[in-house]
Amino acid sequence: MTDDTTVRPDSGPGAPVLAATGVVKRFPGVVALDDVDVDLRAGEVHTLLGENGAGKSTLASVLCGAYQPEVGTVFRHGRPVELRSPRDGLAHGIAMVHQHFRLVERFTVSENVVLGDPQLGRWLARGAIDDRVASVAETFGLPVDPRARIHDLSVGQRQRVEIVKALYRGADVLLLDDPTADLTPQETEALFVTVRAMTAAGKSVVFISHKLGEVVEISDRVTVMRGGVVTGQVARVDADRHELARLMVGRDIDLDAQQFAAGSPGSPCLIAKGVTVRDGEQTALDAIDLEVRAGEIVGVAGVSGNGQRELADVLAGVLAPTSGVVEVNGQPIRSARAARAAGVAYVPEERLGTGLAPSLTIGENLLLTRRRGALVSRSAARRDAREIIARFEVKAPGPDARCRVLSGGNAQKVLVARELAGDGQAPKVVVASAPTRGLDVGAIEQVRALLDDARRNGAGVLLISEDLDEVLAMADRIVVLYRGRISLEADRASADRGAIGRAMAGIA
Amino acid sequence: MIVVRLERRVATPRWIGVAVPVASVFAALVLAGVFFVLTDRPPLTVYSEMFDAAFGDVQGVKNTLVSATPLVFTGLAAAFAMRMGLYNIGGEGQLYAGAIAAAGAALLWTADLSTPIAIAVVFVAGAVGGMAWMLVPALARALLGTSEIVTTLMMVLVADVVLDYLISGSTSYWRDPLTIGFPQGKEIPDAAQFTRWFDARITVALPIAIVTAAIVWFVRNRTSFGYGQDVIGDAPHAARYAGISERRTVLVTLLVSGALAGMAGAAEIGGRIYKLEPSSLRLGLGFTGIVIAALARSNALGVLVAAFFLGGLRNAGQSVQAVADLDLPKSVALMLEGFILLCFLGGQVFSTHRLRIVRREPARRARASAGASS
Repeated sequence: MTDDTTVRPDSGPGAPVLAATGVVKRFPGVVALDDVDVDLRAGEVHTLLGENGAGKSTLASVLCGAYQPEVGTVFRHGRPVELRSPRDGLAHGIAMVHQHFRLVERFTVSENVVLGDPQLGRWLARGAIDDRVASVAETFGLPVDPRARIHDLSVGQRQRVEIVKALYRGADVLLLDDPTADLTPQETEALFVTVRAMTAAGKSVVFISHKLGEVVEISDRVTVMRGGVVTGQVARVDADRHELARLMVGRDIDLDAQQFAAGSPGSPCLIAKGVTVRDGEQTALDAIDLEVRAGEIVGVAGVSGNGQRELADVLAGVLAPTSGVVEVNGQPIRSARAARAAGVAYVPEERLGTGLAPSLTIGENLLLTRRRGALVSRSAARRDAREIIARFEVKAPGPDARCRVLSGGNAQKVLVARELAGDGQAPKVVVASAPTRGLDVGAIEQVRALLDDARRNGAGVLLISEDLDEVLAMADRIVVLYRGRISLEADRASADRGAIGRAMAGIA
Repeated sequence: MIVVRLERRVATPRWIGVAVPVASVFAALVLAGVFFVLTDRPPLTVYSEMFDAAFGDVQGVKNTLVSATPLVFTGLAAAFAMRMGLYNIGGEGQLYAGAIAAAGAALLWTADLSTPIAIAVVFVAGAVGGMAWMLVPALARALLGTSEIVTTLMMVLVADVVLDYLISGSTSYWRDPLTIGFPQGKEIPDAAQFTRWFDARITVALPIAIVTAAIVWFVRNRTSFGYGQDVIGDAPHAARYAGISERRTVLVTLLVSGALAGMAGAAEIGGRIYKLEPSSLRLGLGFTGIVIAALARSNALGVLVAAFFLGGLRNAGQSVQAVADLDLPKSVALMLEGFILLCFLGGQVFSTHRLRIVRREPARRARASAGASS
């Protein structure tokens, strides 16, 4: 890459299939991309690696036409193009697979694939379309039934539909935005097989991720971003996890220290007996028995949507179970207030909207779960907010900033700090749901350290996480949740990755 | 090429809270001015007449304060609910119910009471009456989730009919049996008729209104209950997560809102009308309260300012009728009030968004589109 943005990439046969030079994109209050150059060659997997807010998704959006850069040019096969919409992008063979899928749940796979296809005529030739969809899917190792309805498909299958959709339209540049976020290890492996099949067929893939391990595994080249600028570019042969982490965070990160020492469990402090949650016909939790002892972390692994949210809500008293009981140190938990009074801290899965009220200030949000009398002191809350902002390096304009304007990582720091480091009174039980999901490396370190501190201080911690590495690094015991049941229970010493992966996928 | 775009604000600056209402009022005056021009009335003359009548001299200000007094209560009623996302549209009906209760209590009990106790009886009765009128909508909302907008509005119609029935449709306790011809309400005892101060109809209702605004402000900003309202208004899931009862908070909020509107009825009975008199009560004070709450952005102290302003407008509407060569009906005030609300609601977008003017570089665009077509 050259620093001189006026130089055009070569055109002609050797030119990159897609490139952008000197891209600047601003949003109110932030420069999301500041003079960024990137290029993509035929048949390669090029990863954009960076923490949250580094600008990688914004860059991908510019490359596919969803955003228009203020300055800078996008080149396709060495020729400048103006992409005014994702439709323009698709017309140029560029497609993006978003982290949150854009599929019509009630439609079949084929119907979703042809939805919005300009080639589609007046009549739906269902049989022919199904056959074409099936053949595209098969070519790239994407087993999916064209006639299945989206609402019957798992997350991994839906993602395949999105990829099939892009390929069906003839895209030869695919941008995958954090594609492994919601996948099981097995599904991730299957995705990688597909990615390799696509590049073998001469297609190019832009892979957006913040997970170092998989980046090293799948990428031909890696472009590392931080704060809207490119901090480095490495070919796979040179890819060194420590070097990548340093480029990403801007300082050295000790990756190996993320393994936490085991706790020394005492007596049970959180007990759930026969907890069942039914919502109409759906059984979200089916007779769950669970015990967390003081001073240990119990990790709950599993793909989201298998009862995690309900389990966390029940244990924290927010949701009343259909049957079964929850006790904290012998006290029955029947309401959120009772749980708080018994010393339960709860970091919910949904941060903004549940754990934090988005339009209230940081200070006001600290009051949410603190014990309140008839009167509240917003000035005291403001003082606490200042302290948390300083101690956890929260990037915020000040204690009166509304939580809505915080980035995901900073909002989570506020939430976790309130739950775990607040009030001078250490929690006795911690229920933490996906506490590090989507956070950058620095924030992850802080959140994990707080959870570890809680364990050391004798709290019983229930860590619900989709990130198996996190569960294995932190938990003393591991349970796997699948369709509302515990499908596997293992000690940390005897935990086997393969067995856990199978239990997560419901394969006995 | 220049493109004007609306962009979301990262943070709302403080001055916006003042600038938007002021600019809305100005825009409303310009829009309403079009009507005055079309009907051959010089808008600036109309406005200067109105301003003089409302704020131009001591007597004008006194009358404005008198008009503003019940509006403070109805404004607080709407604002108390609005700040947590509840819309009490039926302040008008609760005002009637409050007036009925206040007049009834005054007739029943105050004849032999000392003045301060009689005042308390009138206001407490008014609050209870307004609250009672809100009971059904509040329970329906809290327990069944029924839209309070619809139910409170329907209750206005019921209150309106009840009011007529009590005075002209029956020989009720409120009706004066001695009048012949046009039926009238019975006058309340002297003890319950608030003393007039400063040669105007300024009464004890004004300081009570101001103190009530201060109490409402305190409850909203300094108590756990007010904090719970904020949380529920912003994020119901967060309230559930924190163990704040939405049902209880909604119920209490709506009942208090009804009580505040009922106090407006009490202020009207004890301070101005002295008897249950349907035609004197039907001024749309409850509806104007909604406009006031909106202009004040649900802030209790802002309600005082907005009520003073809209009280002045009403007062001006009365006075401007008397200006012979303008030939204006008093409903000019209502028209302006409507324009102000519309402009304010439209102007709200500027508190969350800002205009940004983007200049696109024509050369780059030409080059890029040439590339796309090649």
